[in-house]
Amino acid sequence: MSNLAELLPALLIAAPILLATVPIVLGLRFDRTGWSVAAITTTALFAATAYLAAAVYETGRVVHVLGGWGEPQGIGIELVADEFSVLIALLVTVTAAAVLAYTRTGGPRGNTFYTGYLLLVGGLLGLSMTGDVFNMFVFLEIVGLATYAMIASGDGPESAVAALKYLILGTLGASMYLIGVGFLFMATGALNMDVLGEAIPQIADNGGSDLTLLRAAFAFIFVGFALKVAQWPLHSWQPDAYQHAPDGVTPVIAALVSTVSAYALGRIMYNVFGPEFLTATPYLTEIVVTVGAVSVLAGSTLAVIQRDVKRMFAYSSVSQFGLIVVAYGLVTQTAFVGAVIHLIGHGVIKAGLFIGAGVVAVGYGARTVDEYAGLASNRPFAAGSIALLLIALIGIPPSAGFIGKWYIAVGAVEAELWPIAIVIFLSTMLTLAYSARLLEKMYFTPATGVDSPHPAGVATDGGRAGAVSIGMLGILIVTAIVAIGLGFAGGAFFEWLEPFTSEVFN
Amino acid sequence: MTEASILPLAAVLVSAVAMCLIIASYRYPNVREGWSVVAALTKFGIVASMLPGVMEGTTYYWSLSESLGVEFLAGIDFVLRADPLGMLFAMLASFLWIFTSFYAAGYMRGLDEHAQTRFFAAFAASLSTAIGIAFSGNLVTIFIFYELLSLVTYPLVAHNEDNEARIAGRKYLTYTFFGGGVFLLAGTVLVYWLTSSADPAGNAHLAFESGGIEMLAEAAAADPAIAQAAFYLLIAGFGVKAAVMPLHSWLADAMVAPTPVSGLLHAVAVVKSGAFGVARVILEVFGPGLIHDLPLNVPAIGEVGLNVPVAILAAFTLTAASIIAMRKDHLKRRLAFSTTAQLSYIVLGLSMLHPYAILGALFHIPAHAFGKLTLFFCAGAVHVETHTDYVSEMAGIGKRMPLTMSAFAIGAAGMAGMPLIAGFVSKFYMLIGSGSVGGGYWIFAAALILSGILNIAYLWPVVYTAFFESEDRHDAKPVLEFPPGGKRESYFADDEYATDGGEKPDSGHPQPAGDDDESESKGAGTPTELDDDEYEYAVDKYPSDHTASDDDHTDDGHDDTHNDAHDDHDDHHHGGPPASGWARHTPFSESTWLILVPISIIATGAVTLGVVPDYAVFLDLATYIVEGVFGVESFDELRGRSLAEALEVINE
Repeated sequence: MSNLAELLPALLIAAPILLATVPIVLGLRFDRTGWSVAAITTTALFAATAYLAAAVYETGRVVHVLGGWGEPQGIGIELVADEFSVLIALLVTVTAAAVLAYTRTGGPRGNTFYTGYLLLVGGLLGLSMTGDVFNMFVFLEIVGLATYAMIASGDGPESAVAALKYLILGTLGASMYLIGVGFLFMATGALNMDVLGEAIPQIADNGGSDLTLLRAAFAFIFVGFALKVAQWPLHSWQPDAYQHAPDGVTPVIAALVSTVSAYALGRIMYNVFGPEFLTATPYLTEIVVTVGAVSVLAGSTLAVIQRDVKRMFAYSSVSQFGLIVVAYGLVTQTAFVGAVIHLIGHGVIKAGLFIGAGVVAVGYGARTVDEYAGLASNRPFAAGSIALLLIALIGIPPSAGFIGKWYIAVGAVEAELWPIAIVIFLSTMLTLAYSARLLEKMYFTPATGVDSPHPAGVATDGGRAGAVSIGMLGILIVTAIVAIGLGFAGGAFFEWLEPFTSEVFN
Repeated sequence: MTEASILPLAAVLVSAVAMCLIIASYRYPNVREGWSVVAALTKFGIVASMLPGVMEGTTYYWSLSESLGVEFLAGIDFVLRADPLGMLFAMLASFLWIFTSFYAAGYMRGLDEHAQTRFFAAFAASLSTAIGIAFSGNLVTIFIFYELLSLVTYPLVAHNEDNEARIAGRKYLTYTFFGGGVFLLAGTVLVYWLTSSADPAGNAHLAFESGGIEMLAEAAAADPAIAQAAFYLLIAGFGVKAAVMPLHSWLADAMVAPTPVSGLLHAVAVVKSGAFGVARVILEVFGPGLIHDLPLNVPAIGEVGLNVPVAILAAFTLTAASIIAMRKDHLKRRLAFSTTAQLSYIVLGLSMLHPYAILGALFHIPAHAFGKLTLFFCAGAVHVETHTDYVSEMAGIGKRMPLTMSAFAIGAAGMAGMPLIAGFVSKFYMLIGSGSVGGGYWIFAAALILSGILNIAYLWPVVYTAFFESEDRHDAKPVLEFPPGGKRESYFADDEYATDGGEKPDSGHPQPAGDDDESESKGAGTPTELDDDEYEYAVDKYPSDHTASDDDHTDDGHDDTHNDAHDDHDDHHHGGPPASGWARHTPFSESTWLILVPISIIATGAVTLGVVPDYAVFLDLATYIVEGVFGVESFDELRGRSLAEALEVINE
């Protein structure tokens, strides 16, 4: 048991990256093997992650020291599976496996696409498991590169431009992070998160130039992640990337890439710097919550005025990640749990919404809000699932969106930051503003009868035009049900994270 | 005594299951409506089966964590609990749903409405969440159902799918989610935080406790400002649905919904859930004692109880809404403002904190429900049969719909608080209550009496015009808009009718905006015996449009509303009498039994509650609730006490 569990963190990362080559190799002989390879791999990864989660539940955190090279200073590279990272790894593997149900007929196709897909999954798992700040940079880059490739696989010049935009801004973000890591290394001489987590409070107590370095490191890291997580005003790559990526790719990117980056930010803030450093540094929490709060307001406002549905959802992500960053900045246990739950909940909901947008685009030929008119009577199941997901996004209980919002709101009240609490409560109305727009179009606006400018089945990558398979619709419905069902897991999430949070906050 | 039981959950789930069955049987209208009726009967049966136990002091509860081991949120359980207050609301909503489901079938079929499956499904879901609100055992549970209720009633408001309905739907969503998702959630979070920081073990106390949550009282002593903020947030959250000014304007707009919705939901289930929530907050979250003792510092006045601003707002609302109602020509809008006023009776009675006032307020929940449902059913029946929506078009309609308009008269008398009808009993108790408190509270008694008079002023003209005026001779409505003494007018252009030498009747219509298709079929279902093809009649400023042929008149007008649903007219103005005046009908032939039987039963109910309130269960329940809140064995112990004395009883 323990031997296998200790091996798993490494396998979870190595297996998808190695298997990413298989579709290309097989592609020399067979045409369509990519999907099968990806399906088998992601399912196996999910099973392995579930096993690892069970092990973590029983024995606490599982640490894998790469190469068995455990130096006393702890310079050895570690992969850590604890309550926090396993939860994110589960989200990654489940989503990766589930979205395949869409891409089988919804596209994109081609063996190289699935190579990129597996590479992305490997990078994301690495990012969630790593216990080393430099390795985190490596995995950030793997994720980034795989994402560029996936966005660019959409055809047409917009995809290329969107990918280029993300390439430039994403690399900038990763570079900022790397500079921050450099400062950290200068100040402490360590890269291992545990070692850093012990060293930093001492430096903070001693003060001096090392403390200045630490503060600079935090600033660079935070800005780097703000870019990766797409916080206002550094969000400008995200709407283009989400809108122009192929329909089958957007769910994965939207549900996972920003989510895992936000997870990494949380890991750095709470495991490396620690709550004492965050609260002791003047203006730090104030800046973090302000960035988040402004993103909530700006993201929702921009979402309301969008005409393209995918773009609207993209701006919605800006605002929802704003809530998560706010929760990080509140530095209370409840808010932190809220942030984690919202990471998971938002991931599931957004994956579902983008799958829904894809299903509607393929089956109904609608891409703008206006074209969604009459969807409910023509595509009742797709419309119903999208409606449920939107309701979950607004945070109407019972749903995944509600429990996250509840803990974040309680956290804000506990921190007695009233303006932030007001923003959190108002975020419901802001989310409602753009969600209700779509709901009203789908259910209470009769179809105009005018042919949409987009012909049905713009599966430009060669997907069968107009064909919505059972898998595509099925995964949409399942996601909607999961988004509602998670609404009953508020207590379970809190309990699951209890060992982690009580260690961090005490 | 509490007892674990599946019954509260079953009562909530019955109509949720019915919703699924309704959607599944969308091809068979009779089966579909059958499910509504079956669910309504089952629901009432389940609720009523708990009544004897509850009256003997048993509280039935169902808890998610005890039953399934699932904790909804950390430290918060999902609890459904049938206590006396919850039973009052649940009995009312489930009882009235039985008759509304018949009426709704008659109404929707009579108008040949579109999307009936969605309508009945959303209706069943609304009842499910309303019962959920009634049986919620703590603030988070009530929040869940409150939000869900907003959500599932939205399809009913936006039902018509035209611009007016969509705009009303947007307004509805904005108001109700501001109330629920912002105010109520914020208030709940504050109470959570207050109680968990006051409790030595760090546990939150959100479960309702008769007479107020004890831990909250301790926390409020330590941090009064936050407790006050929580109180007003909770009251504002529920006040949105209770349509307390200035949060009331969604209600009148929501009247674009089909009449069964306006009747059961926007006079009973939805709006009462707001008033019921206010009752929960005042009686079982904060408790009258804490509310009275938590002084609010008002500059230049000094310290006043937390309840006083709420009472002032409610008193203002019930007066202002009554005055606005007098100016409304659209019957359903007039009734909507009447609802706004009547709901504030409940809020006012509760916020006066005196046992008698609370008793009156609680009894007003069923009393108003029976009366207002009668009124809405009548308005709907008139709409189905004659397509008449405006009071100014109803002169002489008593001939056409004698039973309906008689029931309307009963409902109107109940609203005004006439003796022998339900509304009298509740208003009587509230007057005693406000009198017993003394001090400046006389002003609330004055508001109650003034509003009673205003009620007569805006509802009596409807009855008067129906029975005592005729198509060719009546006063222009609304009365308030025209010169004192009234302005004589006639629906017919012929000079021979204007025997008094009145002016030409072409300016009589207050709502003529943009009606160029006026000449379309009128008087649905009324066979007209016109033998003069050249007969002309005028109903508005454009007489040139009004040469109508026989064919137009025999057309039964159903199609016309249906098409109307999709055009963007602001003003569906197809009512009024047919060219030959209202045809005379007997009470049995004026409409279908699906509509007439429910009207008769609900009107009878309103009279029963007024004549023998002691034998209808609601007054017993209300008394029992007040006894629980003040912690006395019998209501007699509270008799003749002033507010301060009554509140001392709680502390003992």
